[in-house]
Amino acid sequence: MTRSGLELRHVRVPFGDKAGLDDVTLQVPRGERVALLGPSGVGKTSLLRAIAGLGVLSSGAVVVDGRDVGSLPPERRGVVYMHQSPSLFPHVSVLDNVAFPLEVRGVTKRAARATALELLDRVRMGFAAARPPSTLSGGQRHRVALARALAAEPAVLLLDEPFASLDPELRAEVREAVIEILEHGNGPAVVLVTHDVDEAAGVADRLVVLLEGRVAQVGLPADLLASPRSVAVARFLGIPNLIRGMRDERGVVSCAIATFERPGAAGPVAVVVSAGMLRIRAGQRDGPAGTVTAVLHRVAGVAVRCDVGGESLLAVPEPGIDVAIGATVHVAVDTRALHVVDEPLDRG
Amino acid sequence: MNRWRDRALFLALLAWVLLPVAMLAVRALAQSWRFPQILPAATDRLSALTLSTAAGDRLASALAMSITLAAATGLIGTILGFVIARSAAGSSQLFRRLTLAAAFFTVIAPPIALGVGLQVAMLGVGLGGTLVGVLLAHLVPATGYLTLFAVGVFSSLDSSLEDEARTLGASGWQVVSRVLVPLLRRRLGEALILGGLVSWGQVAITLLVGGGLVRTLPVELMSIVQSGDDRVAAIAALMLSVPPMLGIGLLTMGARRTGASV
Repeated sequence: MTRSGLELRHVRVPFGDKAGLDDVTLQVPRGERVALLGPSGVGKTSLLRAIAGLGVLSSGAVVVDGRDVGSLPPERRGVVYMHQSPSLFPHVSVLDNVAFPLEVRGVTKRAARATALELLDRVRMGFAAARPPSTLSGGQRHRVALARALAAEPAVLLLDEPFASLDPELRAEVREAVIEILEHGNGPAVVLVTHDVDEAAGVADRLVVLLEGRVAQVGLPADLLASPRSVAVARFLGIPNLIRGMRDERGVVSCAIATFERPGAAGPVAVVVSAGMLRIRAGQRDGPAGTVTAVLHRVAGVAVRCDVGGESLLAVPEPGIDVAIGATVHVAVDTRALHVVDEPLDRG
Repeated sequence: MNRWRDRALFLALLAWVLLPVAMLAVRALAQSWRFPQILPAATDRLSALTLSTAAGDRLASALAMSITLAAATGLIGTILGFVIARSAAGSSQLFRRLTLAAAFFTVIAPPIALGVGLQVAMLGVGLGGTLVGVLLAHLVPATGYLTLFAVGVFSSLDSSLEDEARTLGASGWQVVSRVLVPLLRRRLGEALILGGLVSWGQVAITLLVGGGLVRTLPVELMSIVQSGDDRVAAIAALMLSVPPMLGIGLLTMGARRTGASV
């Protein structure tokens, strides 16, 4: 049985005058972090606002800890919604910001401040308790906002693009804070919205890809990245290698980099593989030959774009290998890493 | 060169603004001031603000009436203006436009025209010639001004503060009392004074709706001017001019001290 938390049942959310999201069904137990991924305008923020009671829900049910909260006002749902840029109240101190959710629930000022101070210590912001929010850095504001959200003891915590307004250094800091502060177990069910697949995969336990108004796929980050259900999902996730293939009646799939068995209906298919699974090894001539068309220097390391049998593929050279544009290389792949999508590549 | 020009322009502007007030002050202090004297004779100057008991009572009573009306108009108008602006902000575009148009109309309509309509309305409900009727009439232009003012205030207010406060457990009233009012304290103060000033200077509406029975300072001033008593008129005019300047000064000082802004 699922631990209580958030449950969406066939939820439909309009996006302005457009149709928005339809038939969203999802369960997020307490302690789990789920990231909603989707292109701009798909309705991710509208969905979060509808869950929080700040936006409109056309149909379906929002259930929090086993209770349908669809007809309840935002303050009685047990759902805290955090904006992209934390909205700390500028007219009170950091401590009183964190005490706010307790005080509005009737806790005495003294007790509320004592609890708020504990929460600030937990997020390592106790030193700033007496300071006004305007004196905090971006990362510190996020920490305080998280402490304030936890003070409300929500069943569900909604984070709308929590890293979007931060520079890369602060992003990492806030990401770590989210993971550290929202520990599993007794914590709230966390739903966060982000555009960044890597970030989502780093923070969330599960990813939900929203495409064309619907849930396109839900899964663990590793599963989703290795086995996208459709070409559209693969493209959205930014998987660089989508290769045209053909499956015959015996279930043998042929594509530019390999021939391998994958039972299924005969016909055109798309073969999906991440860059890390295509290796360029020194001195080895196993795998198909290709010509290097670009050498990409990235934070994660060097990657090479090469033309193999008419397909432009992204591969990773093993350390120490010097590749240059125009060089001939051999691309090695473990066929077990190849994922087959039963649809022609040209579609979508 | 530019600096001297700017200074000259500033001094000219200052003289333009202050000269009428200075003339009023001199006239109020002098027992008599006859043409072609440039200034009152020395014996006539600084005769102290001695007024006949009757004139003093008239002005004191009118001053009290004006203060009462201005305070009530400022307070009620501020509440109404902010509530209307807030409802408009959360409603459909059509309703929002209609609200703004209605508010704008009360601002641009000549007070005399507005007063005629309000006179008919107040007489119809039995409030003609009463303080309540005049207050309601003053609230029409004041609420218009303050609705437009509040629309501007809300447009610069970060709505995410309210959203987060609600989901953190605050009821609608708690959001107003614990978030909005403290945040908008300075703006609310400005609105109170602005609303009070709209009432403070009303003549046409007060005369038409009050029917001469509700005697505010501007109404009394008109009457004194018509009677030809220049000195009492100058004193009344000064009484009418000083409070608005004090109000604006206080607001400016408050803003400087707190550095508050929304």
